Amino acid sequence: MSSTSNKTTGNKPEAESTGSDSLYEKHKKVYPRQVQGLFARLRTTGVLALLAIYYGTPWLRWGERQAVLLDLPNRQFHVFGLTFWPQDFFYFAVLLILAGISLFFFTALAGRLWCGYSCPQTVWTEAFLWIERKVEGTRSQQMKLDKAPMTKGKFNKKFIKHLLWLSLSAFTGFTFVGYFTAVDVLWSNIINFDMGPWESFWIIFYSLATYGNAGWLREQVCIYMCPYARFQSAMFDKDTLVISYDNTRGEPRGSRKKSADPKQLGLGDCVNCTLCVQVCPTGIDIRDGLQYQCIGCAACIDVCNEVMDKVGYDKGLVRYTTENEIEGKTTRLFRPRIILYASILAGVAVALIIAIANRIPLELDIIRDRNTLYREVSGGLIENIYNLRIINMSTSKQRYHLSVGGIEGLTLINSTKNIDVNSGEVYHLNVQVRLDPVALKRPSNEIIFRLESPGQEHLKIEETARFIGPVIR
Amino acid sequence: MASTLNRRKTDIPTVQRVIAVFWPSFLTAGLATVLFFTAFNPEEMSLCLGNTKPISNVGAYTIGFFLFWLLTSTTCALTCYFQRPCHQPVSPTDTNNSL
Repeated sequence: MSSTSNKTTGNKPEAESTGSDSLYEKHKKVYPRQVQGLFARLRTTGVLALLAIYYGTPWLRWGERQAVLLDLPNRQFHVFGLTFWPQDFFYFAVLLILAGISLFFFTALAGRLWCGYSCPQTVWTEAFLWIERKVEGTRSQQMKLDKAPMTKGKFNKKFIKHLLWLSLSAFTGFTFVGYFTAVDVLWSNIINFDMGPWESFWIIFYSLATYGNAGWLREQVCIYMCPYARFQSAMFDKDTLVISYDNTRGEPRGSRKKSADPKQLGLGDCVNCTLCVQVCPTGIDIRDGLQYQCIGCAACIDVCNEVMDKVGYDKGLVRYTTENEIEGKTTRLFRPRIILYASILAGVAVALIIAIANRIPLELDIIRDRNTLYREVSGGLIENIYNLRIINMSTSKQRYHLSVGGIEGLTLINSTKNIDVNSGEVYHLNVQVRLDPVALKRPSNEIIFRLESPGQEHLKIEETARFIGPVIR
Repeated sequence: MASTLNRRKTDIPTVQRVIAVFWPSFLTAGLATVLFFTAFNPEEMSLCLGNTKPISNVGAYTIGFFLFWLLTSTTCALTCYFQRPCHQPVSPTDTNNSL
C-alpha cells in the first residue's frame, strides 16, 4: 500500500487491516432462534395455508380435467372454467402488471408484508427451519452440533435432516411440474418408473432449487437475489408501516437486575438481551435502524414483547410503527401515494375482469393474398383473394359462418357456411371476394369479414380488410 | 491507489458475484422463453426446419430456456468483466493485488 492509498481510504483503517482474505470471508450461518407470539402465529398460519394451496391446487378437478393446468405440451392454460391460448398473452401481461401494482400498494401501505409472511422464500425457509429444529434441536443445540467434531450421532442427525429436506424438495418439484403436465398421469408415471426425460429433468431442477434456496442460501436470497429488497425504499415514505426499535425509549441500553431502577442507573428500556438479534432470520440488529436486509417478519417484535413482559416494562420497544410516529408526528393513512396506487390497482383489476368476462374465444386473422392486387374475372367483376386464419379458442368444436360486408354487392365465392373447427385448432381458409367495379368509389376500400357461430350470440367477431380495384368513372 | 480502488470496487462476497451473473440472466432467460414460445410454436418450427425427428414441446421449451440462459449469462458475465476499473497504471507491484 502506498501512502496515498491510506489517504483515500480516509477514516476506514479497518478495511486496510483486514487484508485481502476478508474479501472471501466465509458466509456465517444464521441460526434463527424459535420465537412465539402473535406475529409468529400469523406467519405460521400463513405458511401452512400457502403450502396447502401450493401442494393441493394441482389435485383439484374441474369437470373432466385438472382445475388449474398450465398445459405447456398442448399450449393451453386451464384456470378453473377458463381456457387461455397463446393468443391471450395480453391477459397474462396485464395480470403481471396487476401483481406489480399490488406490490407497490401494499409496500407503501405496510412495508414488507410480502417478504415476512407470503414470499415463497420465507414460506419454504420456515418449513425447512421447522424440520431442522425437529432434527437438530434448538438454536444453541444446532450451534453446538455444528461446532462438534463429526461423530456417528452427528452424522445421523445431519443425514436425517438432509434426507427430510430433499424429500420435501422432491415433492415440491413434483408439484411444480404437476402444474404444467397432468398431475395424476405424472404421479402414476413416477410410481411406475416411467417418466419422460424432460419432466424428470424439471422435477430434479426445481427440487434442487428448493433445497438450495430454503436449505442453504436462505437470507442470502433476500439480500443478494431479491430485486424488490433493493428498490423498496422508492415505495416507502414516512407513513409506511415498518418494524422499528424505539431509540429514545430504549437507549442507553444495558443489562440490569430485575429489581434495579433504570432511571437511577441512567439506562433506557433495552436490557440488551440480544434476543432480537438471535431470532432474526437475516441476522441483523433491528436496533441499528431500518435496513434493507430486514424482511419485516416481526420475529424481533414477538421476542422483545416477551422480554418486556418478563422484566415488567411496557410492550412495544420494537414495534410496527411509522417514521412519523417515531418522530412524534401523526401518521396519515390516506395520502396521495396510497390513493394513487389504490385507484390504479382498482382500475386495472376491474378492466382485467371485464376484459376476461367479455373475451370472445374466437380469433380471425386476415392477410391479403400477396401475389396479386386484384384481378378481373368473367362478367367484368373484380376479385380479391384473402388468406384467413380462424382460431377456435373455446373448449369445444364449433361451426362457424363467414360473411362479408362493407360495400353493397360484395360476394363470397367459396362455400363459407358450416366451417367446422376443433377446439384449439388453427384453421386456414382461402377466400375469393368479388365485386362489380361500378360500386367502387376509391381504389382501396374497407370491407368487413364477419365470423359467427349460429345460435351462439357471444361467438361473433368482425375484422376489417382492404378491397382493391380500379375506379370506373 | 490502484489496488485500493480495486479492492473497494470488488469488495463484495463471492456469492454475490456468482449471483450477479447467473440470477439476472435466469430471470431474463425465463422472460425471453415465455415471449419467444408464445409467438412460436415449437411443433411448427420443427416443420419449418425440416426436422425429421421432432422433439416434444416441453423438450423444446427446456432447450430454448437453457440457450437463452447461456446467452444472457454471457452478457451478465461480460458486464461484470467490463465493470472492473480501467483507469489504473499497469505496474508489476499492483498486478499482485488486482483481481
